[in-house]
Amino acid sequence: MSHILTVDAIQTYIGQFHILEGVSLSVRRKSITVLLGRNGAGKTTTLKSILGLTPPSEGRVVFDGEEIQGKRAYDIAGMGIGYVPEHRAIFRDLSVGENLKIAERQKGDLDRRSDFIFSLFPDLKRLYHLPGDHLSGGQQQMLAVARALVPDNKLLLIDEPSSGLAPVLIEQVMEAIRELSATTTVLLVEQNFLMASQLGEHYTIIDEGKSVHEGEMEELVEDEALIQQYLGASVAQGGGGR
Amino acid sequence: MNVKQLWRERSALVIVAALLIALSVIGWTAMGQRPFVRTLLSGLTLGALLFMVASGLTLIFGLMDVLNFAHGAMFMVGAYAGWQFYTNPTFLFGLAPLVLAVMTGLALTPVLRKLSIDWTIPGHWRQALRTALIVGSLAVALLGVLGLGFKELAETAMVPSMVAADPLEEATPQEPLATFWYRPTLLLAAALLLALAQARPGDRSQVVHREEVRRGLILASTLLVLTLVATLVREAGPLAVLKMDANWRFVLSLLVGALIGGGLGAVVEMGLIRPLYERPLFQVLVTLGLAFVLTETIQVLWDPLPYQMSRPPLFSQPGKAESIWAWMTEHTSTVDVMGVTFPSYRLFIIVLGGVMLVALHLLMNYSRLGMIIRAGVQDREMVEALGINVRRVFTLVFVLGAGLAALGGIGAAPFIPVEPVMGDRFMMQGFITVVIGGMGSYSGAAVGALLLGLSRAFGDYLALKFSLTPAISEASTVIVMAIVLLVRPAGLFGRKE
Repeated sequence: MSHILTVDAIQTYIGQFHILEGVSLSVRRKSITVLLGRNGAGKTTTLKSILGLTPPSEGRVVFDGEEIQGKRAYDIAGMGIGYVPEHRAIFRDLSVGENLKIAERQKGDLDRRSDFIFSLFPDLKRLYHLPGDHLSGGQQQMLAVARALVPDNKLLLIDEPSSGLAPVLIEQVMEAIRELSATTTVLLVEQNFLMASQLGEHYTIIDEGKSVHEGEMEELVEDEALIQQYLGASVAQGGGGR
Repeated sequence: MNVKQLWRERSALVIVAALLIALSVIGWTAMGQRPFVRTLLSGLTLGALLFMVASGLTLIFGLMDVLNFAHGAMFMVGAYAGWQFYTNPTFLFGLAPLVLAVMTGLALTPVLRKLSIDWTIPGHWRQALRTALIVGSLAVALLGVLGLGFKELAETAMVPSMVAADPLEEATPQEPLATFWYRPTLLLAAALLLALAQARPGDRSQVVHREEVRRGLILASTLLVLTLVATLVREAGPLAVLKMDANWRFVLSLLVGALIGGGLGAVVEMGLIRPLYERPLFQVLVTLGLAFVLTETIQVLWDPLPYQMSRPPLFSQPGKAESIWAWMTEHTSTVDVMGVTFPSYRLFIIVLGGVMLVALHLLMNYSRLGMIIRAGVQDREMVEALGINVRRVFTLVFVLGAGLAALGGIGAAPFIPVEPVMGDRFMMQGFITVVIGGMGSYSGAAVGALLLGLSRAFGDYLALKFSLTPAISEASTVIVMAIVLLVRPAGLFGRKE
């Protein structure tokens, strides 16, 4: 079984709005798959639907050989999915250490993984006792990623890790995600096409709530017509000089 | 991390503290030592009581966005439960086997879920089955309590048994065990039906955790043993409690009151609040309705009369102790504090409020549950995305909040009348406290309660001194709220959204 996650034609409503009208994608083990698409195409909702935060009303989600659509978000997460939401949603009232500790699913998770986490993000060790809202934007992003690494997650859903970060910090976050892909699987939403194309091995494009294209990143980079058609604006924004 | 940031975080606390110190100095010099100390102590007593109500209210609102209008009723239930237990626990002992039997059945929900999850039931039959199970469960439960003399049991404590030299004489005849035993049995059956409905047979989208099943089994067997014990000691229990040292009985009443309040909180959260998470407005309405139901039930059981619970002997020996140290041995009803004669029981309330604040502080800052609550107040969705069952934390917080309110109620019972309107009265004050302190912050609730308690006490003093209408002290609380909200719209410790 080479795919750890298969999403099959899911449809999701938020309130009365039909946000996802048929999204399919699959994620191979130990790889980085990127979800591409314009603003408002439904990328974030796709991640939330996989995790059960906005449960899909139709379609199937298979994770690690088990159907998970309709299960509670905490059960799905408990099966080994880590979530790094957009806008660095760390807990501001908790210290850095508590932000990590709260992610433990079993006692001792953090002790087991702390060496690995601090080798990726050495800053966090220094900031361990500070409250979350004393951190800079970049540090908060590191913490949000680190938090998803505390339990033994088989899949990480990472939403827009570069948004609002200075270029230097984007480099640092990219480096961390690249290192992660050696040991775990990543499904990444990224507006910044440059970053997405350098990190991703496979891609799925979502447009107006539907998945419209998927394939290998190497081929997409060559296909300017396709990029222009679906990602025009975001490529220009993300420095699409390529 | 600099001075500016520190100031932004602590400014509310610093300003409040400075204000209180300044006012104290003014008060001390203007009022003279004795009136000032007396008013201060009254304010602290009221503040401690308000804190017990407001702390639960603010936690429940902060985490769950539920404005619990039944919180005052929980305070009242605590007062009644504690008063019953202290004066004559026949009623509580009479109901305990029934309640425990229901809890035993409900505790088996995860086990039943595991057993029934693979039943093949067509989708449209599932809902019908659940409805049938719930209706059947209610019918069986009704059969179980039919003919049980609730009112007679309730009235046992209305005649204070303390006047009787021998509490044994006060023992009311109860149903003999030979005819009683079928009641808990039927209620257990009713609860099992309800648990099966809760288990949603055939719904394979549920996840059955082995840990949960194991915990359910352990809990259910513990409860079953307790049910059996409660059934057997139904008559002997009240007598044993009444023969106990009155001070220990009072301590037990505090515990029992808090436990009953917490248990009620659990039932309310699971039975009424949880099914309505999709419809937040309905949650508020249902708590409001519950407040009415609880108040009316209590009126039916004990009439709308005010009762006065007697103070435990520790606080009721005649005379006045010269100091708190002297009180430790003399156990008098009043103590001399800095020249002021003050009821010793009220000092106990102040201490109880302080102990609760410290305990809550430790729980919130040094336990995993506290960490999850603090995180959940800010971002529930993310907590759930970490794999934490937030709903279960909701239940715990509701139980904790209701338990604290009930503890406040039983603590207050020996010095305010125990009557059906006591809940409403504290409810409004509790809301104002929470708004002043900032929704969701227990330290805010503490500061808010302190401010309100003091402003009421000093308002009373001013009203008396300048022969103004006593309404001024009631108004003062609202004035404090208005000022705080003008300066800080989110409350003293609230976070701006």
